[in-house]
Amino acid sequence: MDQGGRKLESNIQEKGKKALGEITRRQIMELDTCSHCALCTEKCPAYHESKNPLHAPGVRSAKIIKLWDKKFSFWNRLLGEKEITEKDIKDLSESAYHCSLCGRCMESCPFGFQTHELWVKVREVVSALEANPENVERINGLLNETMNPYGLEPDTRLDWSFFVDIDVPEKDEAEIAYFVGCTTAYKGVNHDVAFSMCSILEKLEEDWTLLGEDEWCCGNPSLISGNKEEAQKYAEHNVKILESKGVKKVITGCAGCFRVFKYEYPHILGRKPNFEVVHAVEYLRDKIISGELDINQTEKKIIYHDPCELSRLGGVIKEPREILASITKNPIEYEEHGIDVKCCGGGGLLQAVDNQQRLNIVKERLDEAKEKNANILVSACPACKLAFTDGAREFQNEIKVLDIIELVASQLK
Amino acid sequence: MSVITTLYRFFVEVLPYITIAIFTVGMILRILRWRNAPKDHYSTKINLVESIKYIILDVVLFRKTWKRDKLTWLVLFLFHGSVAGILFGHMRGFKLWSAAIFEPMGHRFADWMVHTLPIYVGWVFLATIVILLIRRIRLENQQLTSLTNDYIAMILLLLASIIGQGMRIFPPEAIIDGTYKVVFIPRLIVLHLETIPSYHWFHWHVLMTQLFVMYTPFSKFIHIISGIISPAIYGSRRKEIGI
Repeated sequence: MDQGGRKLESNIQEKGKKALGEITRRQIMELDTCSHCALCTEKCPAYHESKNPLHAPGVRSAKIIKLWDKKFSFWNRLLGEKEITEKDIKDLSESAYHCSLCGRCMESCPFGFQTHELWVKVREVVSALEANPENVERINGLLNETMNPYGLEPDTRLDWSFFVDIDVPEKDEAEIAYFVGCTTAYKGVNHDVAFSMCSILEKLEEDWTLLGEDEWCCGNPSLISGNKEEAQKYAEHNVKILESKGVKKVITGCAGCFRVFKYEYPHILGRKPNFEVVHAVEYLRDKIISGELDINQTEKKIIYHDPCELSRLGGVIKEPREILASITKNPIEYEEHGIDVKCCGGGGLLQAVDNQQRLNIVKERLDEAKEKNANILVSACPACKLAFTDGAREFQNEIKVLDIIELVASQLK
Repeated sequence: MSVITTLYRFFVEVLPYITIAIFTVGMILRILRWRNAPKDHYSTKINLVESIKYIILDVVLFRKTWKRDKLTWLVLFLFHGSVAGILFGHMRGFKLWSAAIFEPMGHRFADWMVHTLPIYVGWVFLATIVILLIRRIRLENQQLTSLTNDYIAMILLLLASIIGQGMRIFPPEAIIDGTYKVVFIPRLIVLHLETIPSYHWFHWHVLMTQLFVMYTPFSKFIHIISGIISPAIYGSRRKEIGI
């Protein structure tokens, strides 16, 4: 069948139908319930920046249910399925990937649709229709080759540690494992985050280890680009390695790794791993409250940006604030914070698909921090730090950007 | 018997059975549509307290919209509040309650509650649905993409409410007594009217409201039901995550 000048192969139709058929009953109910009221639209950072209707969550919801109906509605089952067209695929791909998967639409939806999961499902459909953006496919290819989305050699995963004065441990057995994460290990701007965490663990004389080359990507990029099977490979490997070392607690400084380890792995693997997963902020907060970490206070004005995957999607909201309260007498809040945080644009593979949109989104957060006269902008996710650093460079904003782990390490007595 | 009288008798004596049949089949089809989709890989255990909390805060009080923008909240709240008021008022016609429940607060108050307030509620409903329709048209292809059933649903409601108000404000014609009841299920679900309304407006109102009921399972009105389920799941899920 010829649709808009391109012949859609019948196997793509079939793959699309199969993926659409995997949309769950709760999600179909949510899509049927969506009144396309647009109450979420203005809250969506991607739409707010671009004003492109395809980027609006409600439009995405209308597109996917129309596509589902083509294959599964009562009438189309009775009278014959309708073909998925080239335009359907193009629009859906554009819509699905101009989204940072921050879940803010979920927080605006009066019906509480679990949109983060829904949009990931939409990406699974896009992937099945072989319509993932080129750069997303490139990332998937690199992941497959090197076990990280940046395509860097696995044996360079610990290169950041060559420039620090700690012998980072790679033990066969340990109580605690620090799961560094790809964006911390491979992005120079985040190397100090890894070093800071290591120095804190050393100071506390914990029985801890890194995984080194054995640390693979957590699988988040695969999951959010519609490749669940690939993500399973990473989940199985990481859990196997961690369990083989007898690890009791996994600490990660990355909000994405944290969410995937804590909330996705049990679903992917069909069981809970034999270790506890905590984000570094939870660990640091406990150590500060218990008095094991002694902190110097500063007068500096520090503004905290909640990473979406840690706060809204991960439930860790009060801990970073407790840390900041112990560090500065002048903590500042964004107007939109906590569960209602406005995304920095750093998630959802937006950087790979439309970096300018990502930078424009982060600009708003940087500008607000400047308006509030913050000296330091702190977050708790390497993707956020990367977005803020890139944005500050692009828009010549001189605010100091730090991860909360770096901030704690710098204030230790 | 004139054509119009025959038609009106059809609206009140035959159509109610068709309405119930279409509504029932529609609901079954809707449930099958959901049931035929695969189960979630992870089922949230429903936490009753959290579910009720989120239903009250998010669905009844529109908490999220309140946080977002007060004017939209006001329109939505008045719209849904008037729907609730109108539904409650109609229950009196089905003899589920009577004006006597307001008598302890005085006869004048009871009379105002059952005769005057409904007219104001009808105007509020009409005004808010017009505002919501204009809003939808204005945002169409900019912030939202409506499906056909989004518009059909709103237009049906608009027509039903315009005719319903007409029924109240236009004077009744002299019509044989006993016409003004709508039998859905004999002796079980029967709508009786206390005062005789305008003959024509009444029957067209009966038609529009039945079209509304028939269309509910196939339209966005389904959120009357599913809109209770999803926040219940959402609230329970948030509790699980610890937010």
